[in-house]
Amino acid sequence: MNDPESTVAAQDGEIGLVEYHDFVCERPFEFECERVIPSYQIRYETYGRLNASKTNAILICHALSGDHHCAGVHSLSDRKSGWWNNMIGPGKPIDTTRFFVICSNCLGGCQGSTGPASINPVDGKPYNLDFPFVTIRDMVRAQKVLMDHLGVNQLRAVVGGSMGGMQVLQWALEYPDFVRAIIPMATTSRQGSQTIAFNEVGRQAIMRDPEWKGGDYEQGEGPRVGLAIARMMAHITYLSDKGMERKFGRRLRGEASGGLSFDAAFEVESYLRHQGQSFINRFDANTYLYFTRALDYFDLSATHGSLEEAFSGMKARALIIGFTSDWLFPPEQNRMIVHAMLRAGKAASYAEVKMDFGHDSFLVDSPMLYQLVRAFLKEAAS
Amino acid sequence: MKAGEGSSGKSDHRPAEKRTVDMQIISDWVEPGGKVLDLGCGRGIFLQYLTRKKNVFGVGVDVDANKITACLARGLNAYHGDLFGLMSRFSDRFFDRVICSRTLQELQHPADTVLEALRVGRFVTVGFVNNGYWKNRVSLFFRGRRVRNEVYPGKWHESRTIHPVSVTEFEEFCRDNNVRVVNRVFLAGDWRTRRRFLPTLFCGYAVFDLTLDADLQPGGGETAKPG
Repeated sequence: MNDPESTVAAQDGEIGLVEYHDFVCERPFEFECERVIPSYQIRYETYGRLNASKTNAILICHALSGDHHCAGVHSLSDRKSGWWNNMIGPGKPIDTTRFFVICSNCLGGCQGSTGPASINPVDGKPYNLDFPFVTIRDMVRAQKVLMDHLGVNQLRAVVGGSMGGMQVLQWALEYPDFVRAIIPMATTSRQGSQTIAFNEVGRQAIMRDPEWKGGDYEQGEGPRVGLAIARMMAHITYLSDKGMERKFGRRLRGEASGGLSFDAAFEVESYLRHQGQSFINRFDANTYLYFTRALDYFDLSATHGSLEEAFSGMKARALIIGFTSDWLFPPEQNRMIVHAMLRAGKAASYAEVKMDFGHDSFLVDSPMLYQLVRAFLKEAAS
Repeated sequence: MKAGEGSSGKSDHRPAEKRTVDMQIISDWVEPGGKVLDLGCGRGIFLQYLTRKKNVFGVGVDVDANKITACLARGLNAYHGDLFGLMSRFSDRFFDRVICSRTLQELQHPADTVLEALRVGRFVTVGFVNNGYWKNRVSLFFRGRRVRNEVYPGKWHESRTIHPVSVTEFEEFCRDNNVRVVNRVFLAGDWRTRRRFLPTLFCGYAVFDLTLDADLQPGGGETAKPG
């Protein structure tokens, strides 16, 4: 998820150099589990300008392994730009010449926002597993505090895929008068059994690594093997059979053609190992546990009695986008959101994009996806 | 370019004018403020017209992603996918009206579609090209081949019409399925002038308003039940 590798630079203008900001809130935050932290920090980036009436803001919500850096580069020597650079920028579908685009690292994260690796001001030690359980709703409520801090009066749109899509849905329910339009994609209103199962395998890989130490590992150390395996396994669920066949097939690595061994002989193996290795250098294992748990507990129908009931107070216009080859959050789970919204008499549309890249399709260059987002945002602007 | 594509370019032009007539007829039947489902909504021109004129809660369905995009740009609710897949998700009579205009003869399962539409909609408006139109008959009778026009462009295998239907056949379908016809309008070969005389022969385009409920009257009212 949020692997910008397949991102193709769009022809339109690039956003160029960007930098992050830290918002430190000295007021306490009460989690859904009723536990409280005395203060917290949210790291975020913004692109474009907030208009005079403060109504042109679009909030981007990131997925499990994503972060606040969704467009542009931090330095001209950066090899990769932000994870949704193909979607966001001057003249791109989320046009930074028209919209003020905000993306923040989720509460509980490890890329600058307060999370399990942060220092608990009460005892001066990292929270680790003492960090309160974070939910999708907690992430959204923290984002709202940031919106108020930035002086945003309303959100023209909230956009995101996967775990980001869950936040998008939550935004429309939590702050109906604040959100004018939503675009959740490759997502679900209710984490299913299969997805919980995959998350559990990932968590077990981490927690059974002796270096995890009950969550009390030192910074820079920790369950590197477990986290890498969790990432390798999860990464498969973001792809598709067809996409992997086309990208790797049964191709062997050059140096591995000698004889049989358990080294990474196939290209797909070395690709996954690389994914695992690069992930442990940028992601905290405890955040992985907390975020996958947040996904698992997301169930709008259970929380509200039924999905129609959940959407009954929604005021935003919705465009839900599913991807044909996504088997993690399949099109049907995306359609179900639209069915319930329409049954509740809400303005909702559904589009299905035919792509072979599995769950990660939403991050990949796709003229159809761009066209849909452009058309929907064009109307939202009028 | 296939033979059919040339004439479809031409037909894009002409129905714009023709469409206004059936749009007006159907919109007169639409209850203001109701819920309307448009099967095969295309670019959403008609749905937008209804939304503005009758203030309906409209939902359009189409299988073509480009048409969905056009609907989104108009601010409409558009559903990309299968007609049955969507209709099956709604309870009986959820919609005040389901519209199946111009697409009936192009549907894979026209009868099932109309019957399912009658389940989810209190009224169902069906518009179709009358295959019994005299020019069609003449062409087949004298030339031994199907008529060629904007509805039946190109060769026999190139037409989008896979289930040609005549006025007589459609009325028989309604009788067989206990479907009550509450309104019907027959347009001549120009799809503009109304025709009352021998519609099965002289009607080019037919619009039917249907319901399964014995008591329902078009316009949303119900007849008073005796005693």
